[in-house]
Amino acid sequence: MKRQRETLLLGMTILSAVLVLVALYLALIGAPDADLSSETGRYAQRIIYFHIATAWVGFLAFFVTFVGGVGYLRTQRRVWDIVALSSAEIGTVFMLGVLVSGSIWAKPAWGVWWVWDERLTISLVQFLIYVGYLMLRTSVEDPSRRARFAAVYGIVAFISVPINFIAIRLWRTQHPLMFGIEGGGLSDNMMFAFAFTLISFSIWYTTLMWHRIRLEQFRDDVEQLKQKFLA
Amino acid sequence: MGYLVAAYGVLWAVSFGLVFSMVLRQRRLDAELQAVRLLVEEESDLEAGQ
Repeated sequence: MKRQRETLLLGMTILSAVLVLVALYLALIGAPDADLSSETGRYAQRIIYFHIATAWVGFLAFFVTFVGGVGYLRTQRRVWDIVALSSAEIGTVFMLGVLVSGSIWAKPAWGVWWVWDERLTISLVQFLIYVGYLMLRTSVEDPSRRARFAAVYGIVAFISVPINFIAIRLWRTQHPLMFGIEGGGLSDNMMFAFAFTLISFSIWYTTLMWHRIRLEQFRDDVEQLKQKFLA
Repeated sequence: MGYLVAAYGVLWAVSFGLVFSMVLRQRRLDAELQAVRLLVEEESDLEAGQ
């Protein structure tokens, strides 16, 4: 059973790597050029494929942290805490990617690296909220108290996700709206590249989660062994 | 073109950073496990000698 699981994880890892490489090809070469006058703008537009997929993984990860928090508070089972922690860590790293790649896109598109508009500010605050989540976990010694605090924090912090999502629909921000009621403004080939990137990143996230959860369970096993033999 | 390279470079760097940190933590745990194993072996050797 364990051997089967290890083989499946290896398969998932290879599949994720291949899918992300194909997505990279589609984003950089496969997708058609955007209808933009400047050459810089056309190149920069290709950042969006990975930028949005990275944001999607961030949001998904924070949702899983929320679910993990609810699961822990209901059952007090360590596995839910591991799920929440693993997902928050991955989500925070991906949100860092969103902030930096978005800023690099903004320079050729808007002429500045950063503007304090609603979407960007909320994204930054959201990133900092989850950095806070990870810091909270390191500052509480008692494991059950840590898990309980983190679960509540993870549930409350999730409010930032819907706020971030609706920010560009609610306020008149500088951030472009890719998918609105009026449609996305993407051609079929662009949409294919975009959908493929989203699916690849979702599978990649699942693989990362699996590795991260496995690592945390391994840490627990080592800790139990230490307690058992050093006591 | 430079912006495109920079953005994808950052995204890859961030992703590899995460994977690399996980590999490092795994190695540290392996080393800890090895140390505990050695301690257990030493202890059972001592018990066998008594």
